[in-house]
Amino acid sequence: MNFLGAEDGQAHMGAGKEGKKGLVHPVVWVTLIVFLLLPLVISKPLATEILIYSVFALAFNLLLGHTGVLSFGHAAYFGLGSYTAGIMYRYFNAPVFVGLIAAMTVGALIAAGIGAVSIKKKGVYFAMISLAFAQMFYFLAFSPLSNWTGGECGLKSIPKLKLDYPFHVDLMSSWNLYYFTFLIAALAIVILWRIFDSPFGRVLQGIRENEERVTACGYNMVLIKFVSLIFSGAFSALAGSLLTVYLGYVPISTLFWMTSGMILLMTLLGGIHTFIGPVVGVGVFQILQSTISSYVERWEFFVGALFMALVLFFPEGIVGTIKTKYEGGRKTVHE
Amino acid sequence: MEITWQLLLMQFIFGLSIGSIYILVAGGLSIILGLLDVVNFAHGTFYMLGAYTLYVLISLSGNFWVGVVSAVIIVSLIGGLTERLLLKPLYPRGIFYPLFMTFGFSICIPDLIKIIFGLTGKGIGYPAGFMGAFLLGPIIIPKYRLFIIGLTFVTFLGLWLFLKKSNLGMIIRAATRDSLMVEVLGINISRIWTFGFMLGIGLAALAGAISAPMVSAIPDMGLDILIDSFVVVVIGGLGSLSGAVIGSLLVGQVVSFVSLFAPAFSHAAIFLVMGLVLILRPRGLLGEEGRF
Repeated sequence: MNFLGAEDGQAHMGAGKEGKKGLVHPVVWVTLIVFLLLPLVISKPLATEILIYSVFALAFNLLLGHTGVLSFGHAAYFGLGSYTAGIMYRYFNAPVFVGLIAAMTVGALIAAGIGAVSIKKKGVYFAMISLAFAQMFYFLAFSPLSNWTGGECGLKSIPKLKLDYPFHVDLMSSWNLYYFTFLIAALAIVILWRIFDSPFGRVLQGIRENEERVTACGYNMVLIKFVSLIFSGAFSALAGSLLTVYLGYVPISTLFWMTSGMILLMTLLGGIHTFIGPVVGVGVFQILQSTISSYVERWEFFVGALFMALVLFFPEGIVGTIKTKYEGGRKTVHE
Repeated sequence: MEITWQLLLMQFIFGLSIGSIYILVAGGLSIILGLLDVVNFAHGTFYMLGAYTLYVLISLSGNFWVGVVSAVIIVSLIGGLTERLLLKPLYPRGIFYPLFMTFGFSICIPDLIKIIFGLTGKGIGYPAGFMGAFLLGPIIIPKYRLFIIGLTFVTFLGLWLFLKKSNLGMIIRAATRDSLMVEVLGINISRIWTFGFMLGIGLAALAGAISAPMVSAIPDMGLDILIDSFVVVVIGGLGSLSGAVIGSLLVGQVVSFVSLFAPAFSHAAIFLVMGLVLILRPRGLLGEEGRF
């Protein structure tokens, strides 16, 4: 689509009369309903992971698919979110929500720091620098800060979590844990949709399509990319902190670069040019992983080959490919 | 531990030999980056393939030197084939897709090596005449490390002469600045890209092959060196070959001396240097203003 196509898309969004839009697009509602019923179909741990990585993938794709900025170091925000929440629970006995908010704050701050020195870099170079910074956090957690982070073993012995406000909810039960994660994730998905669908989101998509033109329209492109990175970092960190709540400990692999690679793979699998694609990618990949990784001896070989085939033959991912077929080759950003 | 000048000298030479390996790997990465605008995530994989090819060739021919030369040629050819078959179709799709492809390659191939050669590393012996060390009083200088420094120097001298003096080298330098203009002048740019890619891969394979006797051939050996090379290239200045050399020497010394004085920080230190460079001199030490 071209820059003006975004407004085309708005016209057929289907919400009815002009100027009257619902809270979110019907596709987002459908997604939320699917998540509401998901633990009735698949196991609760798997469903919880799909929720968490969906938030992560949507936050990541705000940057990659919608702004056209590739960060190869998103493990930094996810992992730091996990560790922030873990440290708040473990050392300060913080309430669950305080941990989540602290994680988002740290994610936003780190994104601002990394963005300040690198967001001006063009295309692939930003990817390189963001990866290097992410590895820095990994190695910092690995040994110099291992007194706080637990080093190689990860951060363990986090006390059992429960909600005191507004209700007393024990988060050790997997049903409670799922629906707690669902509420937070649903809120995050709705907010991310609102960002995507806002005038700011349109400018982001404009940057992806044609940087020069957006600059010529008088927008401060660097600042807009920077803000997009901060949103993305904050929500990735939120996903990380949800993982801490779910697992009850923080594995150091959350900071490892493979986490950045996996979220890229899942996002690409679903389709980067649609809002909901990343969620589909996460779902398909996680279900695939839990069913066949026990039969396939070399899982990474399979993943790498899948990735290469995707890049060569299905660059638009599952949702993108289906949409192109369905709409007879017409490409729009909306579902 | 007492810090003597001998100890510092020894550490300096260690740093120099680490830096030499970085020069070869990051130099190749920088050529590919400058010429094709592709961040080659598979660079570490080709480094690893260099070591494994050497292992296979030594068990076939028994000669280290024949092994190194053939490993470089074979791995460059694999690199050229990869560029032609897997990367070339993706160039029209924008800058990210070639990067995605090299990333997939870098997950897939080390696992394939694990399937073929097993999970554990393969040891490779030192070549005759380069075992042992020189003793200068209390300090030990392994001969093989001096050899690596010397070989890197000679290789880079050759590369520099090639790029500055030969016609092909001139075309490569021109294409690095403006490939469209080179194409307009009637030169087949896609062959130049393939050749540049093979050149970069050849340097990585050489680095992998000559470091194999020190570290053994291990399936995942390419990972750390890949990310270290990114750091080197960012410090030196994106797309600048001389920047990559300076960056490598600097990072080599940082790794060597930090692991002496503060071992816990030995891995994190180079990233801090990178952050510092990005704050104080965003284009890198020798990078061009405004290009990246």
